[in-house]
Amino acid sequence: MAEPATDLTLDSASLLAAEEHEVAIVGRSPWYLAWRRLRRNWVALVSLGVFLVICVACALAPVYAKHLAHTGPNTVHAGDTVIVSGKPTPVIGGGSHYDAKTNTFVVAAPSYLGPTWWHAGGRFVLGTDNLGRDVAVRLLYGGRNSLKVGIGSALLCTLVAVLLALLAGYNGGWIDWVISRFFDLIWAFPVFLLAIALSTALAINGFHHFGISIEPGSLWIPTLVISYVLIPYIGRPLRGQILSLREKEFIEAAIGQGAGPLRVMFSDVLPNIVSTVLVFFTLIIATNILTEAGLSFLGAGVRPPDPSWGNMIASGEDQIQTAPWLALIPGIAIVLTVLSLNLFGDGLRDALDPRAKVRIEH
Amino acid sequence: MTARKRGTWLLGLVALAAGISMMVAAYGVAATRSHAAPQQTQKFGTLHAVLDTVDFLDPQQAYTGQAWWAMWNVYETLLTYKHVDGPAGYQLVPGLAQSLPKISSNGRVYKFTLRKGLKYSNGKKLLASDFKWAIKRGFLATGQGVGFYTDIAGAEAYSKHPTKGGNISGIITNNKKRTITIKLSKPRGDFLTILALIFAAPVPANTSTAILNGTIPASGPYRITGYDPNRGFTMVRNRYFKPTKYIPRGNPDKVDVALIGDANAATQRVISGQADYSNAAIPPDRIATAKSKGQLVLRQTANTYYFWMNIREAPFNKLKVRQAVNYALNRGTMQKIVWGGLGQPTQNVLPPTYPSYQRLTTYSYNLNKAKQLITQAGAKGAKVTVWARQVTDSVDAATYYTAQLNAIGLDAKLNTLPRATYYSTIGNVATHAQTGWARWLEDYPHPLDWFDVLLNGNRITDTDNNNYSWYTNKKTNAEIENLKKSQVLTPAVNARWAKVEKEIMAQAPWAPWSNRVFPEYFSKKMGCIHVQRLYGIDLARLCKK
Repeated sequence: MAEPATDLTLDSASLLAAEEHEVAIVGRSPWYLAWRRLRRNWVALVSLGVFLVICVACALAPVYAKHLAHTGPNTVHAGDTVIVSGKPTPVIGGGSHYDAKTNTFVVAAPSYLGPTWWHAGGRFVLGTDNLGRDVAVRLLYGGRNSLKVGIGSALLCTLVAVLLALLAGYNGGWIDWVISRFFDLIWAFPVFLLAIALSTALAINGFHHFGISIEPGSLWIPTLVISYVLIPYIGRPLRGQILSLREKEFIEAAIGQGAGPLRVMFSDVLPNIVSTVLVFFTLIIATNILTEAGLSFLGAGVRPPDPSWGNMIASGEDQIQTAPWLALIPGIAIVLTVLSLNLFGDGLRDALDPRAKVRIEH
Repeated sequence: MTARKRGTWLLGLVALAAGISMMVAAYGVAATRSHAAPQQTQKFGTLHAVLDTVDFLDPQQAYTGQAWWAMWNVYETLLTYKHVDGPAGYQLVPGLAQSLPKISSNGRVYKFTLRKGLKYSNGKKLLASDFKWAIKRGFLATGQGVGFYTDIAGAEAYSKHPTKGGNISGIITNNKKRTITIKLSKPRGDFLTILALIFAAPVPANTSTAILNGTIPASGPYRITGYDPNRGFTMVRNRYFKPTKYIPRGNPDKVDVALIGDANAATQRVISGQADYSNAAIPPDRIATAKSKGQLVLRQTANTYYFWMNIREAPFNKLKVRQAVNYALNRGTMQKIVWGGLGQPTQNVLPPTYPSYQRLTTYSYNLNKAKQLITQAGAKGAKVTVWARQVTDSVDAATYYTAQLNAIGLDAKLNTLPRATYYSTIGNVATHAQTGWARWLEDYPHPLDWFDVLLNGNRITDTDNNNYSWYTNKKTNAEIENLKKSQVLTPAVNARWAKVEKEIMAQAPWAPWSNRVFPEYFSKKMGCIHVQRLYGIDLARLCKK
């Protein structure tokens, strides 16, 4: 009799056998088992779907801007009038003005064109900001920038953290001491403080050393800064895992058979931490998107006028009463993206190693 | 009735009439007095004020409008400005000095005598030599305003090797006679206004050269207590202060100043009744609400917001390109998008508050003409980097500017810098900055504060340069140097300044676009709201309803 499943993600051998119509149990790779577990976690799959839809939409931003919105992300339409449902409507109306006759200012709040929801032929679908720029176009371009920075910095950060963790955990001794102190040094700084300091320093002249040239205003600056400040948040737990792996018999056996350090590290140790790295990678993308949004909100991330979700919220803050969509829309985009990544990351962790307690800790 | 009795009765009648007359006269005098000195009857307890920020509360270091508002009420200078509204607020009057100075015929020697019985808030005497120490302290502490005083004889040499024991030969003081004689190395028409700057406020001799926020003994109507950079400070009455005809006491007994950087929070404090006054910028979308729930006063200060074009750097080394940029700006639209309409479009360097101001209307918005000029200049597609400060209004204005440069055929991109490093970066010759955002708020009401500092080619420096256009022109440079010698801004002198402005703007090194007005926001409890043109809300005339 097949024993009942006790956990959504755990597959007992007998359950697998029962599912496969009493066919004899065949050897399954850990990846196959993980995929089996993942595909039964519909929350994780829906989350992955949402994230992919967001990615595709952002990737298609130039197509949308050119063929539907007929404007660019930084094109100013301050003095324009647009036809909404057959009525000409100013992009920016109201506002205070100087009355030369009375030599006084007539005080009034400005009004910005709200979402037109396709009633203006695809223009200003999500309204305009205080400069008359199309919010929908900026949202998609902003998403591109946020995702580029988030994914790019996650790749860099994970790559460097894995290499350092391998070196430290496998070699031990003074190499471990130096790398661990490096982790401690970065860890000692509050993430945002360090990131703001680095971004500000690089904002003036960019980075032109070691044959690398990065201009001020480049997306590489927030990408590098975020990847740098978050290295220990992946590196330290990985190092701990490698330290325990190093004591295992199969590593000693590999060394005993004459395998060199590089071979042991990359052929024996690395495959055993890949599942952890994958989960970390997924979760760190979400963290990095949030960090980028925070930095851009504070003026130290993606530089205006280029949009990012963070700087769109910052610039919408001043119009929160009369044009709440300016801050709300990019805010919702961040929530959706980060939530979908976190839910997918959790699902991936449960699928790859249900016993693992992988999380990004600040 | 006997003759004697009649005489006594008449005498009594006369005495009664005289008595009544005296009472009436006394009443009349009292009534006149109370009218002439309203501040005596309009005192109130505490004014709860909100400022967005102050840089320093040290007279030799403070260099923001908010800090100067506080300093004006705490530290007196030899000369000061009248406590009145409107243009009369630019009139210089004696402060610590008994009277306006005697000036030598060559415009190089200024003689002052201090008022009798001057004391600091710690009870110690204010001496003539304290003025000299204040100027020396500025140089010793590398104060932000020392550049204004280098024309005092010996000051240039002193600035190179400042020591506590060193001497500025051009300042001669006599504590017994209370006299201060200042000799200049060359005549300077704006020197009286420079002496009225807070930087020249005397402080006790040998006051530390470290930045002392609010702890230096005061010489004005108030003294500062309890400064906390994250919270605020309090101004309480200086009991040793004696009011004069020109420097009255303030009406509030105490001013509690909260420092709140968030404009929404500052505005909300007044709306909710937690504060009586805020000078923080009101977000455009809250301005109508703020007006209905409090008292909004729009203060016209002397400021000009502009885009500079570096005439040394292509494509702005071509006049047609600079003119095209001026034609490309819709200045009316810019007021609306940058600060919700609270500004006046301008094409002038000088703000309209100056008597030298003559409105220029050369560059009306004309995008087609701008495009033609770019084509004629052969600058189509030229790469341009626009510089701006990472502050909302700067970025918004520069974003519009960048879009317009692209619209007329240039290939422009925006580069923003942190506010702390912005001016030093664009003012460095090595940056080769092409064009960007800037603003100028007057230090003192004189055209020299604009043309000499911002557009005199003779004053260009490789670092910390204020002439971001690197504009130089032999003719206008020479005229600015000549006008420096004029001691009084007569109509003829003002006309010459207007001509200088017109000549400069014909070369279009700038694209000026706004004279901004600043909201001062009061709760409905406040009455008698008066604004001194230079320093803002006048505590000597403020009252509660």
